[in-house]
Amino acid sequence: MKGLIVAAHANMAEELLHACELIIGPLPRACAISVRRENNIDEIRRLFAASIDTVGAEGAQVLIMTDMLGGTPANIGMSFLEPGRIDLLTGVNLPMLLKFFNSQESLSLDELTEILRAYGQQAIHLASNLLKRQG
Amino acid sequence: MQIVLARIDNRLIHGQVLESWVPSLKANCIVVANDEVAHAVMQKLLMEAAVPRGIQVIVDTVDAVSELLCSDELGDARVLLLFATAHDARRAVESGLVLKKLNLGNMHAGSGKLQCSCTIFLDNDDVVDLEKIQACGVSVTSQCVPSERETKWSKMVMKRV
Repeated sequence: MKGLIVAAHANMAEELLHACELIIGPLPRACAISVRRENNIDEIRRLFAASIDTVGAEGAQVLIMTDMLGGTPANIGMSFLEPGRIDLLTGVNLPMLLKFFNSQESLSLDELTEILRAYGQQAIHLASNLLKRQG
Repeated sequence: MQIVLARIDNRLIHGQVLESWVPSLKANCIVVANDEVAHAVMQKLLMEAAVPRGIQVIVDTVDAVSELLCSDELGDARVLLLFATAHDARRAVESGLVLKKLNLGNMHAGSGKLQCSCTIFLDNDDVVDLEKIQACGVSVTSQCVPSERETKWSKMVMKRV
C-alpha cells in the first residue's frame, strides 16, 4: 500500500485530511505536515523524515502532496525525492486527495502521480461555465 | 536598476516572498545571493520553476551578485535581493553593495540562538554582522510580510524572548 504525506502552510494539510476523512472514512497510511512560521527548516526536515518512515514503512512507496510549488513545504519535500519510490505533487486539492484513496493499488507510483496530476487540474470548474454547457 | 527589497531569509525563495513581497513591491527580478545554491543545479532549477513567468531569477554567489548589482547590467529591473544569512549580507555590503535598507525575514537556522521574534533567532555573530551592516549606513528592520509592522532590529534584540 502506498503512503501519503500532505504538507502545507498553517493547518491546511491536517484539515484537508480531516475533510477527506469526513467524506470517505478513516485514512490508512496518511499523515499531515503543518508548516508554521515558527518552524525552522531542520524541524520541518525532521518531520518529513519521520513521516516517510511511518507511511513508507517496509519500503512502501510514498507520495507527498504540497500546497504550492515554491512554498517551504514543497521546497523541503523536494529534497526527499527518490524516483520510483518517493514523489511529490504540488497544488493539492480535495478531489486529488480523494482520488488517491480511491485509486487502484496495482498502479505504479508513476502511473498514479500522472493520473492525480491530471485529475486535480480537471477538478477545477467555473460554475457559470457549467451552467452554459447545460443550456 | 532599483533594489526594492533586500532581505535576509534562510528559506530564500518561498511562499512569503513569491506571494506577498513580489506582488506588493512589483518586483520583476529575484536575485538570490548564496554560495551553496549557486552551485546546486537541482535547487537552482526548482527555484526557477517556482517563480511566475515574467519574473527574472538570478542565483549566484555572494561575490558575483554584489558585482552584478554594482554594475548597470540589470537595466531598469526592480530587484528583490535575498541572502540566507547576516554574514552573507555583511559580505555584500562590505564589498561595496549600497543598500538603504535591509529586511530581516526568516532567520531561524542553527541551535543555541536567542529568539528575538517568532521568526528571528540571533547569536552573537549575527548581532556583530548586523551591527557592521548598520554601521555602513543601512537601516536594518524586521518584517515578515508587507502587511506586518516594521520593527527596528535593535529594539528586538533588547527584548530577547
